[in-house]
Amino acid sequence: MNLLAFAGRRLAGAALLLVLLSAAVFAATAVLPGDAVSSVAGVDASTEQRAHVRAELGLDRPAAERYASWAAGAVRGDLGRGFVGERPVTDVLATRLPNSLLLAGLTLAVTAPLALSLGLWTGLRAGGTADRLVSTGAQALAAVPEFVVAALLTAVLAVWLGFFPRVSVVPLGGTPLDAPHALVLPILTLSTVGLAVATRLLRVCVADAAAAPYCEAARLNGVRGVRLAVRHILPNAAGPAVQALTLTTGALVGSSVVVENVFDYPGIGRELQLAVAARDVPMVQGIATALVAVMLAVLLLGDLCARLLGRREVNSR
Amino acid sequence: MSKQFDRRAFLRRGAAGAAALAVGPGLLAACSTDESGSGRKGAGSSPRSGGTLRAAFVGGGASETLDFFNGPSVLDLVRARAWHGTLGNLDSSAPDGVRYGVLKGIDISHDLSSYTLHVRPGVRFTDGSELTAADILHSLSALAGKSTLPVYRLAAANFDLAHAKADGDLKVVLPTLRPIADGRMILCQGNFLVVKDGTKKFRKGMPSCGPFRLTEFTAGQGSAFERYDDHYDHVPLLDGLELRSIADSTARAGALTGGEIDFAHDLSPVTARTLAGEAKVELVPTRSPYLVGLSFQMNMGVKPFDDPRVRQAFKLAVDREAMVKTVFHGNAEIGNDLPAMGFPDYADGIPQRAHDPERARGLLKEAGADGMQIRLTTGPETPGMVEMATLFVEDLKKAGVKATVRELPAGQLYADFATYAALPLAGSYQIPIPALSTYQMSTAGGMPSAFGWKESATDALVAKARAESDPAEAKKLGTRAQRIRWEKGNQILPVFKPNLNAQAEGVAGIRDDLFEQFPGFSRASLA
Repeated sequence: MNLLAFAGRRLAGAALLLVLLSAAVFAATAVLPGDAVSSVAGVDASTEQRAHVRAELGLDRPAAERYASWAAGAVRGDLGRGFVGERPVTDVLATRLPNSLLLAGLTLAVTAPLALSLGLWTGLRAGGTADRLVSTGAQALAAVPEFVVAALLTAVLAVWLGFFPRVSVVPLGGTPLDAPHALVLPILTLSTVGLAVATRLLRVCVADAAAAPYCEAARLNGVRGVRLAVRHILPNAAGPAVQALTLTTGALVGSSVVVENVFDYPGIGRELQLAVAARDVPMVQGIATALVAVMLAVLLLGDLCARLLGRREVNSR
Repeated sequence: MSKQFDRRAFLRRGAAGAAALAVGPGLLAACSTDESGSGRKGAGSSPRSGGTLRAAFVGGGASETLDFFNGPSVLDLVRARAWHGTLGNLDSSAPDGVRYGVLKGIDISHDLSSYTLHVRPGVRFTDGSELTAADILHSLSALAGKSTLPVYRLAAANFDLAHAKADGDLKVVLPTLRPIADGRMILCQGNFLVVKDGTKKFRKGMPSCGPFRLTEFTAGQGSAFERYDDHYDHVPLLDGLELRSIADSTARAGALTGGEIDFAHDLSPVTARTLAGEAKVELVPTRSPYLVGLSFQMNMGVKPFDDPRVRQAFKLAVDREAMVKTVFHGNAEIGNDLPAMGFPDYADGIPQRAHDPERARGLLKEAGADGMQIRLTTGPETPGMVEMATLFVEDLKKAGVKATVRELPAGQLYADFATYAALPLAGSYQIPIPALSTYQMSTAGGMPSAFGWKESATDALVAKARAESDPAEAKKLGTRAQRIRWEKGNQILPVFKPNLNAQAEGVAGIRDDLFEQFPGFSRASLA
């Protein structure tokens, strides 16, 4: 019951935040210098043609009015049509967002267990040689831009060894799952970077739990190794650890634009980038709001999990 | 989020390095798993028929559309060229300078007030119906006439599309807005494609009369075609065609060397260079006139560019050869400060401007502008633009100008148009379209994109040249008008760059489809 109330409260908060953030995104597109007229009418359009196109796109109305009519549509599930190419925004979201979620999900499936093991291993030996080695390695890896990792992986795994295709050529009308081997390099790239960040976050959680008095007591009682990790450390580090992983996942969905470019993966990040460059307001607005919603949902799930784990911790003590 | 964007900017700049890393030619040659190389025929044998050619383009992401009248990306038009019949393409070796498509020919009335389009009899749509004047009329006036895309505006600026009429089944009469003799060049540039009368929605399965019929389309991913055996002109050798969207230049090159595609469109100069050592891949840059002009616009409304000596000094200061060599690794042509190089109405008789920093320095001193400060603004709108601007600023420094360069993020340069048109010095680019009609559309009469150029005498001269039916006289008048722009104009056009396309060894016939800027595959064949 308590949990339900908590979930309800958080859900209402997330909904409010979504509205606020969508308004913020709209304000950002309104403040951004320039509009979509040049991408639609061409650079050398005359002043009259520009005015005509601007009116046709509805850009001559005040920003507040445009936001109000967009929001009214959005509530009914109609996110409008893009200025460039005139495709419905929901169509674009429906084809691209699942691909991004798939990539993020698979990356998480690879990253989470690995990060957990590495985090436990280093956290329990905080300050030791192994910890210093892994932590420094993770720090260095986290600092390397994705495209460098992508280029290195491509050079070695695709060009040199020829294990995987260099570009994710997904069959026409299919999904990335129809060409699973094409998913490997994008996932590896994202995992490498995600793993580095998540390991460092988890290490801290584990080190904190390990330093707690009850752990010391357990250790003094002779509990060691895997048993110590699984029975005593993990349950107590799990709450913050889940939240650390959620943060990594949420960021993955939108931030994979680099990987999408390098491997030509059909995700949503690139669409957002294109839409921003073309000042395609409805598309930017729709995609950004959807990404915000995904991020909020993931955070909410993470909080719920952390809360569940926390309760067990309270009960068991 | 801001960190993310910084990283993207970094990515763009770093892409050069990454490209070199990813497509190391030595590595590739050693372990390519290309299968298309086996069973290749020797040069000189007749082209093979059959097979499916796979080509990759930048594409426009999920906003790609089958409605090419509203689709601004290159791929939208390439797809349409494969799918629909064309009025014609420019062909300097043909009698009218045009290779006609669904037309038999175009007659021009004596007073240049109207054009008569003669429909080629016996052209059939995929639904079996015959193409008539009504279809052409619908495509021209209802669809192209309402399009806001720049390519179709050129026609709307010259012809009264709303008052075009069908005369029987095989004739369309098209009135001009003012007397023009060069209308064939506008109508048959290659981008006027014909769909069936009444077409409103563009979808798979709609009747078409191009070399291929569309079988599959996913926006942002690609489209698939099969040969249309009843094609009016030249039944394709290929069984099928696949057009892919691969946004990143390195990824396109990677797909080509990896054997996943047979043709890669518009590679960046650096990527193209890394392919130079590849045995199974060949670079096929577009040829004149399908070259993109890279330009700098001096704003005559801003001092000291109101002084023609300053404008001339800036033109003399450019080291064009260095730009071609450094930025494009030799894969580009030197420009002569006039747009539309290679088109029939381009003034090729004007001498090439020299690189003369000494004289530039003298002219600036004479104008009292030595030591002037100027900021050149540009953006990464097409590969090479930013690098060109960086070199230009160095050239200007050598002529005694305190110049700096400012690079805007992708998309911003033209999006904020009012700011763009007020820039004192802007780096830009020109798509290949004919010289005089383009001048009338985007420069004459003090248009915002003219950057303060307002010379009614030159405007009149251009109009007169276009209204002259004697080709020799027209050429003379047109050259005179362009000479004025060359001497006093505010545009510097140091380099024309091709689209750096690349194809697998043995692929042939893509250039034979003309209009190379938007490659066509009706005459293409595989190895």
